[in-house]
Amino acid sequence: MSHSYVPLLFFAGIGAAFAVFSVMIAPIAGPRHYNRAKLDAYECGINPTPQAEGGGKVPIKYYITAMLFIVFDIESVFLYPFAVAFDKMGLFALVEMVLFILTVFVAYAYVWRRGGLEWD
Amino acid sequence: MSLVNYIYLSAILFAIGSAVVLVRRNAIVVFMGVELMLNATNLAFVTFARMNGQLDGQAIALFVMVVAAAEVVVGLAIIMSIYRARRSASVDDANLLKL
Amino acid sequence: MIASMAGALPTEFVMTQISYAAVLPMLLVFGGAMIGVLIEAFAPRRFRHEAQVTLTLLTLVAALVAIATSARDHQGITAAGAVVIDGPALIFQGVIVALAAVGVLAMAERFTADEADAFTQSGAAVPGSPREAAAVRLGATSTEVFPLTLFAVAGMMLFPASADLLVMFVALEVLSLPLYILSGLARRRRLLSQEASLKYFLLGAFSSAFFLFGAALIYGYAGSLELSDIATAVQNQSGMDGLLIPGVLLVVVGLLFKVGAAPFHAWTPDVYQGAPSPVTGFMAAGTKVAAFGALLRVLYVAFEGVRWDWMPILWGVAILTMVVGAVLSVTQTDMKRLLAYSSIAHAGFILVGVLALNQKGVSSTLFYLVAYGFMTIAAFAIVALVRSSGNEATHLSQWAGLGKRSPIVAGVFAFLLLAFTGIPLTSGFTAKFAVFAAAVAGGGTWLVIVGIICSGITAFVYIRIIVLMYFSEPAGDTMVMTPTVMSTLCISLGTLVTLWLGIIPSPLLDLASQSTLFLR
Repeated sequence: MSHSYVPLLFFAGIGAAFAVFSVMIAPIAGPRHYNRAKLDAYECGINPTPQAEGGGKVPIKYYITAMLFIVFDIESVFLYPFAVAFDKMGLFALVEMVLFILTVFVAYAYVWRRGGLEWD
Repeated sequence: MSLVNYIYLSAILFAIGSAVVLVRRNAIVVFMGVELMLNATNLAFVTFARMNGQLDGQAIALFVMVVAAAEVVVGLAIIMSIYRARRSASVDDANLLKL
Repeated sequence: MIASMAGALPTEFVMTQISYAAVLPMLLVFGGAMIGVLIEAFAPRRFRHEAQVTLTLLTLVAALVAIATSARDHQGITAAGAVVIDGPALIFQGVIVALAAVGVLAMAERFTADEADAFTQSGAAVPGSPREAAAVRLGATSTEVFPLTLFAVAGMMLFPASADLLVMFVALEVLSLPLYILSGLARRRRLLSQEASLKYFLLGAFSSAFFLFGAALIYGYAGSLELSDIATAVQNQSGMDGLLIPGVLLVVVGLLFKVGAAPFHAWTPDVYQGAPSPVTGFMAAGTKVAAFGALLRVLYVAFEGVRWDWMPILWGVAILTMVVGAVLSVTQTDMKRLLAYSSIAHAGFILVGVLALNQKGVSSTLFYLVAYGFMTIAAFAIVALVRSSGNEATHLSQWAGLGKRSPIVAGVFAFLLLAFTGIPLTSGFTAKFAVFAAAVAGGGTWLVIVGIICSGITAFVYIRIIVLMYFSEPAGDTMVMTPTVMSTLCISLGTLVTLWLGIIPSPLLDLASQSTLFLR
């Protein structure tokens, strides 16, 4: 059994080697131009705004969005096994899955109507 | 590598998770301990499925993940409402209900 | 490699047979809850309360009818071995639905306002914030409690009817998650309520993780989570014996937490005190019935073969539970905490019945659960009526002289306390007698002796409250709210059932003893 993992290990080794090689070679081989923007915070390009009160914690609104995301995201776990084999399972499984998605939509309707999706 | 090692790993993770629940004071960290326990259980299910030569254990792991997510959402909602009322997520600060 | 994977997959899809008639009661309750969520989403605010109360009560009545007609004629294991509808499952489901209906009556109480009185106007708003004040002005109310209750009821119905440990775990969560939220929605003393909710949640999640890990170990041992397969594997003793006993114990710990047995009782007083009183009543009754149903099923069906391994431990738990519940209830000064410790003691008495491990054990446990459920819902509905400057007057000193202020309420409460004690002519007496008789028949004489001593201790506690209500002078500004038809109905039903089961217990005892056979 263990021999079947050898290609995988080999592949992982090549991947790691490539990543290390790229990082090492860039400062040596690449041209060097000074640019202020490159030293700034990653991704946004503009300086961060002043920290919020209490040490710049993530706004609580963020949690609501995150929670809603988790719950709807995880429900889709059941779609994967269904999608793999739905042609073999016929109408019964299709009806079950439609019912399941309807159930999720009921929850969605509640969240939407009661303002759970509004940012402000 | 023997499959039994995965069971040991899962038991160790479960023990770490329960230790976190018992020792840590921050509700969110306590909660992370519970999640660690559930995921240790998932590892055990998947390993046992492999040992028994079945797929049942893997299907069970999917259900556990969904239930754990639902639990996360309810838990975060409760912790969030407490935090907003008190600006603290420490279990020790929630002390109105002492004997 | 691909060929070896294909071998593990089932070659042909076998369609699951579901007897819809058998699971109709659960589908009805779940459907009712879904409609409830839609009402919350789309109905205008002023109609919501009436609509929700009507819908919830109709759903529960329909479910009760479905249990008595459709499900009863379609007993068997269904849904690919996930759900079992047999005698005990049906009677447990019926009891849960009936208790929930009575509990919902108490939740619907709103006195003269047009919102549910026990629940916060806006669970999402910070206590004391402008947003909460705005919600109060708008006349908002948490009508979400009704769909949440229905979801919890659906989980409770599935719990004792699950034929598979995974289904049992899902049912455990379906019944617990709504209860965690419900306990945080009290209108007054909101911080206390939120804290109760947090404690209940953290400890509940902790215990369900134990349940699940136990299930995983048993899966490793038996290669299946179906209770009947586990029973077969236990008989045949497969190679991995080291997994079985820890698995059994972890599963049982998860269930004992839900029934509130010592040493897993720490959440009970805090949650019972912090939760809104009608929710406490519903939770105390419904969760106990469901969890004892599930406990009976796993112990009697799946783990019967290794009973000599778990019996001594459960004996210890039962004794500890009775002693802790009885002794600590003596020192309580808060009415809701006192009732919580009393519920722990009752859980111990019920465990004595469970440990009889015979037909009588099942039927007496059932009878005790029905008796306790109705008493406790009515008692908490009364606690919600006794007020002092707007808040519930839960301190015992505030109940002094209640017999002079409000003879009827005090009289009914005194009657319920006598039933908790187990005085003849109340259901409490018949129930205690039944479980103790079953335990003696099952060889648990020592348990019964401890049980009787603990009953004596709790009797002292209850009689002290009756003395306080009748033989001391009224103090403070305690007053009793005038209940509307909803809580009147709830309290009367609870009290009448308590009286009826005390005087004519035989119909329920017969029904219970006819439905003690677990389908395997």
